[in-house]
Amino acid sequence: MASVRKSRSESLFIRYLILGAWALFCLAPVLWFLSVGLRPRVEIITPRPIYWPTFSLDAWHMIWEDWPMAKYLRNSVLAILGSVLIDLVLAIPAAYSLSRYTYRGRDDIGFYILSTRMMAPAIVAIPIFFLFRNMGLLDTIWALMIIYAAVNLSIVTWIIRSYMLDIPKELEDAARTDGASDMRILWEIIIPAVLPGIITAAVIAMIFAINEFLFTLLIASTPDAYTMSVALANFTGGSDGVIYNAIALVAFLAFVPVFLVVVAIQKHLSRGLTMGAVKG
Amino acid sequence: MARIELSGIQKRWGNVWGVRDVDIDIGDEEFVVFLGPSGCGKTTTMRMIAGLEEPTEGEIRMDGEVMNEIDARDRDVAMVFQGYALYPNMTIYENIRFPLRMRDVPAGDHDRLIRQAADMTELTEYLDRKPSALSGGQRQRAALARAVVRQPQAFLMDEPLSNLDAKLRQAMRVQIKHIQRELKITTVYVTHDQIEAMTLADRIVIMQSGAIQQIGTPDEIYNDPANTFVAGFIGAPPMNLIKGQVDGGIFTASGITVDGLRSDMSGAVTLGVRPEDCAVTQSDANLTGEVFGVEPTGDLTYLTLKTGDAMIEVKADRSYRRELGVDEQIAFDRERLFLFDAKTGTRLR
Repeated sequence: MASVRKSRSESLFIRYLILGAWALFCLAPVLWFLSVGLRPRVEIITPRPIYWPTFSLDAWHMIWEDWPMAKYLRNSVLAILGSVLIDLVLAIPAAYSLSRYTYRGRDDIGFYILSTRMMAPAIVAIPIFFLFRNMGLLDTIWALMIIYAAVNLSIVTWIIRSYMLDIPKELEDAARTDGASDMRILWEIIIPAVLPGIITAAVIAMIFAINEFLFTLLIASTPDAYTMSVALANFTGGSDGVIYNAIALVAFLAFVPVFLVVVAIQKHLSRGLTMGAVKG
Repeated sequence: MARIELSGIQKRWGNVWGVRDVDIDIGDEEFVVFLGPSGCGKTTTMRMIAGLEEPTEGEIRMDGEVMNEIDARDRDVAMVFQGYALYPNMTIYENIRFPLRMRDVPAGDHDRLIRQAADMTELTEYLDRKPSALSGGQRQRAALARAVVRQPQAFLMDEPLSNLDAKLRQAMRVQIKHIQRELKITTVYVTHDQIEAMTLADRIVIMQSGAIQQIGTPDEIYNDPANTFVAGFIGAPPMNLIKGQVDGGIFTASGITVDGLRSDMSGAVTLGVRPEDCAVTQSDANLTGEVFGVEPTGDLTYLTLKTGDAMIEVKADRSYRRELGVDEQIAFDRERLFLFDAKTGTRLR
């Protein structure tokens, strides 16, 4: 009995050790960024190791005062929220149709939607540039909204679809005999029932949009439409050289809101990422 | 409230038959039970009445009006499902209210109607809860309340009790019948449970492989089965069906002899006798068999005898006890024997 208890506490200790090491491994870059971001620039580029770092808000002041960071942040937020909204408006009816109706070519359409995600973005970069230029949308957040929405639409549709497949058919039959039309069934029964799925899909789309770089760089040619991700790249050029502490601080600030959202919905998130792999 | 007529109803998915040639006239205020094994087409038939499936052929009429082209939401029927199908995001109150809102019942009447329905199903104290906070029986009652609340032309119930345990099922059965009698609403009820069918129905429709085998009152179905399927499906334990030969009014099978039957028949037949029409006897036995099983149930004892290659079920007295393997003699009640064609299973009258 005693030996059993001992081995159990031992295995618990080992488990925590492994998890702790893993957590440290994951957190180290984040903490490193924070530490770099809150030190004076001279201290980061010195070749000698520093054991007692100096705390400094130089980078903080720099990003807000010397750089239009508030504008970049606003661009990011507007483009991302707008794109997620477009995705939801398009994906929810599409997912409902794919999960509930039987019609010719349904599976092919579903696969086509998913396949748009399989292509390397660089392949369509040039055509998209000309497309947006001809529409006069270059350098606007409208273009970013549309492009982020297009990139994420497939994944959002498929996540919501997998949640919809889990809703018992009986529920819709009941609503139909109760006198509800298709739109009311979607609005009053289906959407509330798949709300966790919709939130998960929205967050995943948000994360992808925050990280989007290639199309943003292509479309945003002046700071008017810069987002955080492209603005970050601009800290590297120019006569000032690479401004490491500002880069680190902006990267950290971009990371925090996403991190908080993910923590808040992590229970749903793992379910959304398996996308009905177990059932459906 | 409504008469429901099905004439020449068929349902096919490509080459797969769901329902074939169903004709039935369900009277106003009648309680009709569709009974059959799973896959017999009973649920499909009900879903066609609800408008959730379209018949491939045939006509569905309610009060004389053809319903085939009318959408489910415009047919004034309420359905209760096996899995309850309560809306998970709404409270019980909102669940019961849903059909009222969808059918544009004046909002001022909602509260009164909901409370009336909740009262009838003893749910008043649970109205604020979500379905997930209710037990199985309470959920089933909530589903019933949602059907009752708008006083539809007809109730359609698809195995509503099969997810409940035996005791609860019996209580709900009584409640369903009571509500139906009180509201006088035509009801179609689908089940594979013969006890539910016998206790609830004004008429039972027995189906197999998509076709109706017999329509009749519970008494007719039990005492006058049309074929071996009906005879074997109703009754617990089911009717003994013994294959043998009849000639000159005498039926013979291995270990079994029955005389005094109609003398105008000869050839291969199936003899049917219910377990309660078999009696343990000392003389005048129709069969002698070896005791294979003795199962006391409290109010009586099930006795299983082995004779030749047939097993015969007998309902014996509750005090009946016997060693396995000994010989026992059984006499049949001659008034209660049924003969069926050995090939087609049809009753020979």
